[in-house]
Amino acid sequence: MKANWLILGGVGAVVALSSFSLLGGFDETPFAARVDFSTQIKPILNKNCITCHGGVKKASDFSLLFKEEALAPAKSGHPAIIPGDADKSELIRRLTATDPEERMPLDGPPMKPEDIDLLRKWIDQGAEWGDHWAYQTPETPSVPSVGTIWSRMGITNYPETDWATSEIDQFVIAKLHAADAPGGGILTPAPIADKATLLRRVSLDLTGLPPTEAEATAFLNDASPQAYEKLVDRLLAAPAFGEKWAGMWLDLARYADTKGYERDPGRSIWRYRDYLIRAFNSDKPYDQFLTEQLAGDLMPHATDEQFIATGFHRNTMNNDEGGTQDEEFRVASVIDRVNTTWDVFQGTTFGCVQCHSHPYDPFRHDEYYKYMAFFNNARDEDVTTDTPTLRFYKGADSVKLGQLRAFVQKTCPDKSRANAEAQRVTLLARTLEPKINSHDFDQLVNASLLDAKYFGVQDAGSARIKNVTLTGRPRLYVAWGTAAPDAQITFHLDNLTGPVLATVMAPVTGSQWKDSVQVISLPNVAGKHNLYLSLASPTKPKDWVMVKWVSFQPVLALPAETALLSLLNRHPEQTPIMLDGAGDLARKTHVFTRGSWLTLGKVVQPDVPHSLPPMDVDDQKLPRNRLGLAQWMIRSDHPLTARVAVNRFWEQLFGTGLVETVEDMGTQGIQPTHRELLDWLATTFVQEDHWKMKALLKRMVLSSTYRQRSDVTKQLVAEDPYNHYFARGPRVRLAAEQVRDQALVISGLLSRKMYGPSVMPAQPDGIWQSPYSGEAWVLAKGDDAHRRALYTYWKRTAPYPSMITFDSPSREFCQIRRLRTNTPLQALVTLNDPVYVEAAQRLADYMLNHGKMPNQQLQAGFRRLMFRDLSPKKLAVLTKLYQDTEAYYSQNPAEAGKLLASGSTSPKQAALTVTANAMMNLDEVITKE
Amino acid sequence: MNKLQQELQQAALQRDTRRHFLQTCSTGLGAMALGSILGGCDNLFGRDEKVAASIASADYDPMAAPMDPRLSQFAAKAKRVIYIHMAGSPSQLELFDYKPELTKYNGKDCPQELLTGKKFAFIRGVPKMLGSTANFSQHGQSGAWISDYMPHLQTVADELTFIKSMHTDQFNHAPAQLLMHTGSARLGRPSMGSWVTYGLGSENDNLPGFIVLASGGKQPDAGKSVWGSGFLPTVYQGVQCRTDGDPVLYVSDPNGMPRDIRKQTIEAINQINKQEYEEAKDPEILTRISQYEMAFKMQTSVPDAMAISGEPQYILDAYGVDPKKGSFARNCLLARRLVERGVRFVQLFDWGWDTHGTSKDTSVDFGLQTKCRESDQAVAALINDLKQRGMLDDTLVVWGGEFGRTPMQENRDGQTQAFHGRDHHLDAFTVFMAGGGMKRGLSYGETDPIGYYAVKDKVHIHDLQATILHQMGFDHTKLIYHFQGRPFRLTDVAGKVVKGVIA
Repeated sequence: MKANWLILGGVGAVVALSSFSLLGGFDETPFAARVDFSTQIKPILNKNCITCHGGVKKASDFSLLFKEEALAPAKSGHPAIIPGDADKSELIRRLTATDPEERMPLDGPPMKPEDIDLLRKWIDQGAEWGDHWAYQTPETPSVPSVGTIWSRMGITNYPETDWATSEIDQFVIAKLHAADAPGGGILTPAPIADKATLLRRVSLDLTGLPPTEAEATAFLNDASPQAYEKLVDRLLAAPAFGEKWAGMWLDLARYADTKGYERDPGRSIWRYRDYLIRAFNSDKPYDQFLTEQLAGDLMPHATDEQFIATGFHRNTMNNDEGGTQDEEFRVASVIDRVNTTWDVFQGTTFGCVQCHSHPYDPFRHDEYYKYMAFFNNARDEDVTTDTPTLRFYKGADSVKLGQLRAFVQKTCPDKSRANAEAQRVTLLARTLEPKINSHDFDQLVNASLLDAKYFGVQDAGSARIKNVTLTGRPRLYVAWGTAAPDAQITFHLDNLTGPVLATVMAPVTGSQWKDSVQVISLPNVAGKHNLYLSLASPTKPKDWVMVKWVSFQPVLALPAETALLSLLNRHPEQTPIMLDGAGDLARKTHVFTRGSWLTLGKVVQPDVPHSLPPMDVDDQKLPRNRLGLAQWMIRSDHPLTARVAVNRFWEQLFGTGLVETVEDMGTQGIQPTHRELLDWLATTFVQEDHWKMKALLKRMVLSSTYRQRSDVTKQLVAEDPYNHYFARGPRVRLAAEQVRDQALVISGLLSRKMYGPSVMPAQPDGIWQSPYSGEAWVLAKGDDAHRRALYTYWKRTAPYPSMITFDSPSREFCQIRRLRTNTPLQALVTLNDPVYVEAAQRLADYMLNHGKMPNQQLQAGFRRLMFRDLSPKKLAVLTKLYQDTEAYYSQNPAEAGKLLASGSTSPKQAALTVTANAMMNLDEVITKE
Repeated sequence: MNKLQQELQQAALQRDTRRHFLQTCSTGLGAMALGSILGGCDNLFGRDEKVAASIASADYDPMAAPMDPRLSQFAAKAKRVIYIHMAGSPSQLELFDYKPELTKYNGKDCPQELLTGKKFAFIRGVPKMLGSTANFSQHGQSGAWISDYMPHLQTVADELTFIKSMHTDQFNHAPAQLLMHTGSARLGRPSMGSWVTYGLGSENDNLPGFIVLASGGKQPDAGKSVWGSGFLPTVYQGVQCRTDGDPVLYVSDPNGMPRDIRKQTIEAINQINKQEYEEAKDPEILTRISQYEMAFKMQTSVPDAMAISGEPQYILDAYGVDPKKGSFARNCLLARRLVERGVRFVQLFDWGWDTHGTSKDTSVDFGLQTKCRESDQAVAALINDLKQRGMLDDTLVVWGGEFGRTPMQENRDGQTQAFHGRDHHLDAFTVFMAGGGMKRGLSYGETDPIGYYAVKDKVHIHDLQATILHQMGFDHTKLIYHFQGRPFRLTDVAGKVVKGVIA
């Protein structure tokens, strides 16, 4: 191709060549002497060979996934590749064989001769294996210079020298002129957009909202050269900034207000959303942001905020349906956490390694489970209460907790353990952990898991609590209840007829479903034992005694125990968190044979895949838990974390990532158009911005690349239809949240209230009809009816209809990218949804107050939406609509009354409402231009 | 206008398969006024010209024109599907799977070997066996066994293809329904209708390609996820047409806005958008113009399709429809109206088939009979109606639940129940199909003498899905979508086409 280009290239080639020679840093020669494995060979292997000779299938025991496999003897006893000798290599012979039984790819079309030539060359050169670029630590590339040496010296004029205002622009221009750019490098960047367009674009991008009138006036009237930067600074500092970016993150965290599956009942985890808003607003560095979400609970002296941050991985679904096995869904959650961690932070699709080695990327089957071992110790077990949760005691209870902590610390006989003791008691009161959930009891007699959730036992029934370490833990905390008046439970040691440890009456709570926490004294017993419990309930033998959980604890002084017990019996507000089990509660992690949790293979220890940097390096040994994992991910030699982060932010602003497949930087992802720019941004983000997201965003939005006009020429559409080369600004439809929020801002309806539980704005009747659920959509009152979209209550099995219509995911799983669709159902929402009709009514009120003549009023309305004037042609269309409509409503004032729904029957106002409704449906209005 | 037309054609060529309407009817755009588009351009979305690319072609980009009609991978026997899901799962032992041996064991303890290693949703300890509460007889030339709970279905026995050897992996409603419709027991995968719409696009331009109708007073247990699009673009999700309020959300104009004004509004929007296109040249604007036209058309065509007032009385009588009430019967009639209008996949859910016997209404005798009375006539009428219209041959009707019911009487929490009921059962159940290239008058597969296990010609959920896709012209192993780095398909990594049921 390149040879042809040199020979046939006409004027275009000359132009490209001449600018090419003036660009620093891009010294690739058209005739690359050495074949590069990652960019030239790997794609050929992925396309033609690896389905049969890779991670899933290894036909004839030959695989091309790992070097040692590819060079090892295959089934025939001989290696297929002999480095340095293509002619002797079976691989080449089979590719060129004429016998269809022999020729590879079997049953497929033959490989292209030029591809075979490349493979031949590569083998002759030694068959060097290379690592995929994304798995190698990025280095800061040098920034290409722009223009001619004379223009850079200011001697001659070269438009692009003036245009480029940042390093980003220099990379973009260099790429536009590269030989493989569209049109052979002839495209040039677009001019900077006008102020009104920029104002709306950057406001929507940074805060998710269009500017208010006052904000718009301030910027449009500011003629200073710093006006735009001042605007950006103001937007970055606005409270709405955190809401916008939290909104983006909620898709990644698969945030929802319900637990999913059949009953899909409510879950109170909105504090996690609040955490996100505060984190973005306070410009929490990304490395810390990542660490808190993955391992906040394990951080030294973890704060409430850090615990709440771990809600990231507690947004997994929970199945409360009767008859479901908790362990199955616990495992499903752990697997989801593994996949989501890779998707969100590592831009790598790890899910397929669950069942077999990665088909294309260098990850082995057991590496999945080594990685899963980091997450497998979490205490959540698909129980209905969603524990562990962080409990928020209020008022007197909060004081009591403080006193309890101080008392335990003061009275602890072993001073060196005082802190740890106080911590342990506080943790128990705040999280109800550590505890054994009763679904783990076994050897059930006259007993059952009631509704498949909690252990229930009837008269003469019994069960085993297995493998409990009793040393130093002679206090048994039990959460249980019954309606039976004299239900007597006996605890035995080692077997059902073994020594009796305690005999107690189960608390009469009125129903087995209501529990009360009690503490039972046991004699001192050392070692690990099985305990047995048996029930005698003579009066009501068929009544159930239900046990929710048990916990074996050391002795506390009586006042402390009483205080603790009273706290444990409270039902304060709570939010799900991550917490690891230790000791008896630590889990072994096995490989799942072929990915099935029912078929356990060998036991594995926590570790990261070999094709990435190791966890232990010379000067640092990281703990093998989630905290160590997070610290590994943010270490400067990690090849993926920073790249994935900057790519995501780029995608949010520009509509397309530098690696378009934001979810996959692996060999199956789409190759980056601007790898040098990606690496430059990633390394700068870490080294100069110190992971500060606001600095990164500012760098991007100040670039000329971002500030370009987004309208296109026919040439641009033809040469670069998807704007991969950024020779124009982004032009994309608003996201679901923005469509709603914009309408609320423009109409003056938007409530700026921040934080707190989700709200239920108006939605059509009958959307919620879950079986076995008493929960209902309770219409929000007052301000809460017009909160920003990110606060809308999110029910997984019945999400808010207009959000789904505009491509929100339903948040069962992490969704890295929203695909934008363009459908008639969207038109119906913005035309007819009462929210948008109400917004049109308010915009009509505004128009009435801003001008006497219809023309002025229409202009005022459009300016409120777009901050610029309507062109005369467009104005003429709207004026005609206004006039025709006004004529109709003059004849039909009753209809006007229905439309306005405010008591007024003014035909003018009705006509303005219709016109406002039309305006708010214009392409430019629902598009970020 | 001429200049614009040329430009549009140019854009169409440049963007290849993107946005069908440019290639097929640029005159409509030139005229642009809605009236002309609505009335005068029959070819605009004409079936034949609209076929752009098959999903099998290498450079196929589903997002380029997501709802364009596309060719299936091979010739389809069924052009459309009406899938009738009896949510909760009817008892095969009361309806189709005749087991005289079971009656002999009625009231006896269930043998231990049937219980060892088994888990049930509600049965605890040792339950009693429960013989069928229905009377069975054979019908039609095929001699199909159909109980007296379904007198109307008995009359169309020779149109039906029974699969009596169905089995599944899930004994809870939500996961089992998800498995049935998405191929996976977990939330988050696309439903069968979404896959088909993704594969084939939509045949019509004024109705959604995949429509869902629910009756019985509740949504299915797994919620809207059973017609969700999972990781496929949301454009492929099922659109629920409701019996109360707007049939499709927001399809009605606001109060006080008559059709004429709405028409003028959309004309104004599109005229301005057209000017915007001339300035910005973003092809997405052209799509938006066509979507607003389509929205306008849907505003009339959806209520029109949903309005059964035009149906003659004998049709209403045949289905047993009370025109004033939403019901399963009405949904059957609507299903016919929708497929007639080119809707590719119609999914009916009827809630209330979960006959545990915890009350009279949920007993396999009384409660189940009531559900059958409410639905039997309509299903038979639907099959007859399609046949009379010559549509049964290429319309596949599927009827079934998400799993089967136990040959044992349920003993919830170990207690004897006052009513006859059966627990969820995954090892055996029956579905039937009609039309769409199936072998008529066939009973396929068998269960053991007490109906506990499917024993002969077993058919898993994934096999059924593979078979339905096959009838729609797809190799189920090749209808795939890449997500999170791996190829996904409806049948996951399993599924075999059941050749024995195909004509």
